[in-house]
Amino acid sequence: MRGISQVKVLREIDPAARVSPEARIGPFCSVGPHVTIGPGTTLVRRVCVTGHTTIGSGNVIEEGCVLGTRPQDLKYKGHPTLLVIGHRNRFGRCVTAHIGTESGGFVTHVGDGGFFDDRVHIAHDCYVDNDVRIGKDVLLAGHIRLHDGAVIGDLVGIQHFVTVGKHARVGPRTPVRRDVPPFTNFFSDNYDWADPPAVRGVHEEGIAAARLAPEEEKELRRALHELFDDETALQTKIEQLVNMGVEGEVAELCQFVQRSLQGVFGRYRELTRGKPPAEADRYLPPELRTGVRESLP
Amino acid sequence: MANISPLAIVAESARLADDVRIGAFTYVGPDVEIAAGCIVGSNVTITGRTSLGQATHVFPMAVIGTPGGGQTESGECVIGEANTIREHATIYCGKGDRTEIGSDNLIMIGCIVGSGAVIANHGIFDNCCHIGPGAVIGDYVRMSGFAAVCPGNSVGDYAFVTGYSSVDRDAPPYSRVQGSPIRVRGVNTTNLKRCGFGDDDIHAIKAAFRDLFNGSNDNVNKQALERLRRDENPYVRRLAEAVAESKQRICEE
Repeated sequence: MRGISQVKVLREIDPAARVSPEARIGPFCSVGPHVTIGPGTTLVRRVCVTGHTTIGSGNVIEEGCVLGTRPQDLKYKGHPTLLVIGHRNRFGRCVTAHIGTESGGFVTHVGDGGFFDDRVHIAHDCYVDNDVRIGKDVLLAGHIRLHDGAVIGDLVGIQHFVTVGKHARVGPRTPVRRDVPPFTNFFSDNYDWADPPAVRGVHEEGIAAARLAPEEEKELRRALHELFDDETALQTKIEQLVNMGVEGEVAELCQFVQRSLQGVFGRYRELTRGKPPAEADRYLPPELRTGVRESLP
Repeated sequence: MANISPLAIVAESARLADDVRIGAFTYVGPDVEIAAGCIVGSNVTITGRTSLGQATHVFPMAVIGTPGGGQTESGECVIGEANTIREHATIYCGKGDRTEIGSDNLIMIGCIVGSGAVIANHGIFDNCCHIGPGAVIGDYVRMSGFAAVCPGNSVGDYAFVTGYSSVDRDAPPYSRVQGSPIRVRGVNTTNLKRCGFGDDDIHAIKAAFRDLFNGSNDNVNKQALERLRRDENPYVRRLAEAVAESKQRICEE
């Protein structure tokens, strides 16, 4: 028997890459020159990390993942844009994530504690917040924002510029073409042209995960039922709610839905097409917050 | 040959141009030909009787020229110039016919091109598109995520296939098709405008679609078809010819 210690372990780590000595880089991994990998992060096997990519600590990145390649967006001009991945994420097999584009905010950002199952694709300029759970074969198109605790089922395709609210759930094999409000369950039983996916009820696990105060939870449930039991005249219903005086989660929900209504085809972020979104600065690393975009031609 | 990673495995008989860049752990088989300006990422497998045209960019983890579907012998796979083949894309070699890909195509992450499929030029195929064995794809085709072309079917020039659709019969040129089975949902005007079609041509094509499919999309209007085959507009004639010659019954029950 030949033990693993006798086999020469092949890996390609560029000398310029800043890889923490406590990071574990498995066999057949290739790490490019502008990559930073934090302590406790594991690249299991056959992982390729290129581009200006920063990976935090405690992540597990499994076989076949490709992180930091150039966007599939044809408008990308080739500037050294960024991919920033936070801490304690778990990436399944064959996950792909791309760097940002110049016009879309310069950075693709993945938060902390997320779970990305096999073959998930995170496209350019996506902002994925903390503690999301994303199923197999999910395609996140460009410029998407996923808020904290979003749950996405298998085989979901999300169109560009969509926002998924916090603790919302998208059912399996749902084409998402508009914003998904927070704390809702969004899916279609039998997708066809005449019956597009829609908000169908409250995401109970999401409400439980948010740990709201009992009174606030009651208010939130009432608002969700009022708005989405019958999705007509949303604008009027929201105005009524706001006039009654809302606060906390309900106020955020009202603001979210109102923004979606202002957007194009129910997508608020579509209004930022062609220019960096308002929250772009929050996701850029501090040293780049001034001067990067101004320096672009 | 300075651009080939020392960790790449390149067969001695493979014919590589001088400036080809090859990443670590990539396997290049003995009957492979790679033209000038190609960039091949790490962990790529290129095998079979495969040729890559100039300035083709293959991203990490792609697999090109592998025999598919129970086939054991390696076949032929010809890929034209300036294509971009993204991560995890798989292109099978042909069984009897060869797999052919034209120029300037963008084949995105996780796409599968079946054996013997023919793709023309300037196509964009979104993530996880499946192009079945023997399928024929025209110029300037756009396919959205998770769309599939069933074996042997064709997608006409300038057509758009909506996400999650399965093209189980031929999709006419210039059309937008959606659903499973597919239905013609209209003319792909956005793409036609981007490709420089004039307003007159677009109006003529729209009128032809109204005549041919008559809003119901189920049965092609035979009389209109005969008339449109002699239409003065070349694009309309091309549409009518494609519908008439389609073996897979374009949108006909």
